[in-house]
Amino acid sequence: MEVKILELDEKHARFILSHSNTAFANALRRTMISEVPSMAIDEVFIYENTSVLNDEVIASRLGLIPLKTDLDAYVPADECECKSELGCPKCRTLAILDVEAKERTTVYSGDLKFEDPEVKPVSDKIPLVKLEAGQRLKLEAYARLGRGRQHAKWQPVSVSAYKYMPDIKVNTRTCDGCGACVEACPKNVLELTGGKVKVARLLDCTLCMECVKACPLEEPAITVTGSNDTFIFLVESTGCLPVSRIILEAAKILEKKVSEFEEKIKASGVVEA
Amino acid sequence: MIPIRCFTCGALIGDKWEEFKRRVDSGENPAKVLDDMGITRYCCRRMLLSHVELIDEVLDYAKFFGREEAANV
Repeated sequence: MEVKILELDEKHARFILSHSNTAFANALRRTMISEVPSMAIDEVFIYENTSVLNDEVIASRLGLIPLKTDLDAYVPADECECKSELGCPKCRTLAILDVEAKERTTVYSGDLKFEDPEVKPVSDKIPLVKLEAGQRLKLEAYARLGRGRQHAKWQPVSVSAYKYMPDIKVNTRTCDGCGACVEACPKNVLELTGGKVKVARLLDCTLCMECVKACPLEEPAITVTGSNDTFIFLVESTGCLPVSRIILEAAKILEKKVSEFEEKIKASGVVEA
Repeated sequence: MIPIRCFTCGALIGDKWEEFKRRVDSGENPAKVLDDMGITRYCCRRMLLSHVELIDEVLDYAKFFGREEAANV
């Protein structure tokens, strides 16, 4: 298995996974979506809410705020030793919001005051609710580590996808260089140089087969296939964790799950170790 | 109020509404503003393009159900 990174920054990653298979690529993709933990507000105590949005709507909006997560400082609530309903400092952190409007004001995610300075909203400018003069919103919120499989607010990625590596072949013996395939490609993958069709931007190909359909020959001179062992991944973080950390964490979780599975199989005695 | 995340992909879009609104109101082309702000997918773009901010209209009536009266209900 080989990984070649094409682009990598805080929020986006594009890489090629080669000498692998669909099962692994899909397991990695799904692990990033549903198993990598991140922080989100989970429980809200509302003391006063005279805004025009009701308590549930405000709680839902609070939950959806992506929070900068310190994965090493917290443990997921269901794995914490405290076993208490409200949690302990190891598995949750408190945030307080208290805004009383003197004029028409917007309450932003930045108005939330977190107990732990390491945990904070990804952006301070997310509007939560608008208050008219005299209205007040006072609440206490608890943020916890959770997983995407439980609720989408804990999903650390907004995009985690792969596509098959395209393989475009042009039969130079039959191709007459009419350029119909070049015209047909919606992604501008092909180029016509000196009467010959050339693959210029292979990674942009989406395997749509428009070029094959456009070829006027009885037997198309161009063929497009997707590779079964090479994948182009695209991952985008919501901002709660750096994208490189999400990928590494997913690989670790996957490894742990596989070894757990192996142990269970061995323990069952069905397969000889 | 603008939804906090894109309904389809889950990317954060709530914090981009105010800038988007301000720039579009000042006469800029919405498509250019979205490109400029790095909102590339059409699921996220429609979140901002199709949003109608209604809360201000509701708030105009808020004086009729102000804090004191609401507490007495």
